[in-house]
Amino acid sequence: MTLHAVPLRSVPAVVVSGLRRSYGARHVIDRLDLRIDRGEFVALLGESGCGKTTLLRALAGLDPVQGGHIDAPRRPAVVFQEHRLLPWENLWRNVSLGLEGGNPRQRAAHALAEVGLGERLDDWPRNLSGGQAQRVALARALVQEPELLLLDEPFAALDALTRIRMHELVKELVARHRPGVLLVTHDVDEAIALADRILVMRHGAIAFEHSAVARGSAAATRTRLLHELGVISTTAQVV
Amino acid sequence: MTSIEKIVTDFADADAGNVRAAGFSRPRTVSKNWLLIISWIAPLVLLVGWEWLAQAGWLSPQVLPAPSKVARTTFKLLLSGSLVNDLGVSLLRAAAGFAIGGAVGFALGTLVGFSTIAQALIDRSVQMIRAIPFLAMVPLVIVWFGVGEAEKIFLVSLGVAFPIYINTTLGIRQVDPKLLELGRVQGLSTWSTIRRIILPGALPSILTGVRYALATAWLALVVAETIGAQSGLGFLAMDAREFLRTDVIVLTILIYALIGVAADAITRWLERRLLRWHPNYAEASA
Repeated sequence: MTLHAVPLRSVPAVVVSGLRRSYGARHVIDRLDLRIDRGEFVALLGESGCGKTTLLRALAGLDPVQGGHIDAPRRPAVVFQEHRLLPWENLWRNVSLGLEGGNPRQRAAHALAEVGLGERLDDWPRNLSGGQAQRVALARALVQEPELLLLDEPFAALDALTRIRMHELVKELVARHRPGVLLVTHDVDEAIALADRILVMRHGAIAFEHSAVARGSAAATRTRLLHELGVISTTAQVV
Repeated sequence: MTSIEKIVTDFADADAGNVRAAGFSRPRTVSKNWLLIISWIAPLVLLVGWEWLAQAGWLSPQVLPAPSKVARTTFKLLLSGSLVNDLGVSLLRAAAGFAIGGAVGFALGTLVGFSTIAQALIDRSVQMIRAIPFLAMVPLVIVWFGVGEAEKIFLVSLGVAFPIYINTTLGIRQVDPKLLELGRVQGLSTWSTIRRIILPGALPSILTGVRYALATAWLALVVAETIGAQSGLGFLAMDAREFLRTDVIVLTILIYALIGVAADAITRWLERRLLRWHPNYAEASA
C-alpha cells in the first residue's frame, strides 16, 4: 500500500486489507493488502501456486473470504483463460448474460462492435476462432460497465500474433472504459506491455511492486522482475 | 478510435483464415443421390422376390401372404374405418403413457440431478426397480389394474420413465462446472442459472433419453395390447390370429414398424431444432 503514491482524487475500484485464505494449515493468501484505482491497470505476476489465482477468485466472489476485507463497490467482471461462452446461445445472448436493465440486444451489439464482431450478433460460438471467442468474452465483461475488471490469464491459450493484437485491443478498451484492472499472468512481457503497476506475489503476499513511474528501460524492468520471480538467481545480472 | 478499427480488421482477416482452414469435407467418389438410390435396391429386390414367391405358390398365404394381398387388406380396413380407429386408440395409449412416464422420469431426474440429498433418497430405489425387466412386471400390473386402459398406460409409463430419468440426471451432472462458475460471476439467479445454463447443457442427454423412451414405449404397448385388449393394433393382430388372417397380422407388424420409424424421425427433428447450436447437429442451421 505504501510503496506507491496514491494519485489525488483517485477513486478506488477495490481495496483489500488483511486478506487471508488457507487450505488446512497452508496459508495460500497471508494478510494481503491491495488497492486498485479506477483506470489503473495492475498486473499480478507469480509462480504457479503462489496464490495469485486464489486472490483473483476471492476478488471475483467465487471463494468466500476467510479473514480480512474486500471492499468493492460492485460485482467485478471476469474474463477467464477459457472463453466460457454458452455454446447454446448466440453471441448477443452470451454477451448480455446476467445484464440488467433494458435493451440487452442493443447494448450487447454495441459491446460486440467494440471488439470488432458487430456483424455477428446472431452467430453461434462454435463458428468462432479462439481469438474471436476471447473477444466476445471481453465484450461480455465490458458490457456490464464494471468498476473492476479481473483478467485471469485471458491470453494464455492464444497464439503469439493473436495475443499481441489482443493486448492492443484490451489497452484501447480499458483506456476508454477506465475500470480498475487486475491481470493475473505469468508472462513478464505481457505485464510490462499492459500494466501501470506490476506486482509480484510470493508466499501469499505482495513481495514486490513496480510502478510505471519508477520504471527504467523495459529490459531492466524485465530483468528485475525475473529476478523477483526467482528465474534469475543473482542481482549481478540486473542492468 | 481509428487504431481500434485497424486492430479489429487485422483480427477479422486472421480469424477468417483460421476458420476456413478448420473446415474440411470428406472425399466422395459416388454422389450422395446415387448412394441413396443404391441403398433402396436391396429392400426393393426383397419385396419383389416375396411377391413373386407368393404368386408362384411357393409361399402359403397362411404363412406369408403376398405384399399385394396385404396392400388390398390395408385398403379395405382403411375404408371400413376400423384400422384408423384401432391405430388412434393405440397412439392415444402410447401418448398418455409417454406423457405420464416422461413427466415422472424428468421430475425425478431433475431432482436427483440437482440435489445430492435427493440422490441419496431416491436414486438407489430407482436403480433397483430399473433392474427388473419391466415386462416381467406384466402379471403384477394386471393384478393391480386388471386388463384395461390403466394397465396399458401404466406399462408404457414404466418403460418410458427410466430412460428419461437416467439421461436427465446424467445430463445435469455433466454440465460444465466452469459454466456454472461463469453464471455466478455474471450474477445469475438460481432460476436463470437453471434456465440458461443447466437445462440447455443437459438437453442433448435428455433427448437421447427421449429417443430410448420412444422405443420402449412402443415395445410396452405391443406387449400390453397383445395380452388383452378390445381395441388397438394389438387387438387387431390377436383377432386376426383367431381367424388365421395372416395378411392382417403382417399389416399390424408393418404399422408398428412405421410408427417406430416416425417416432425416431420426430426425435431427430427435435434434436436438429433444439440442438442447432451443437456441432454434431449443425447441418440444419444457417
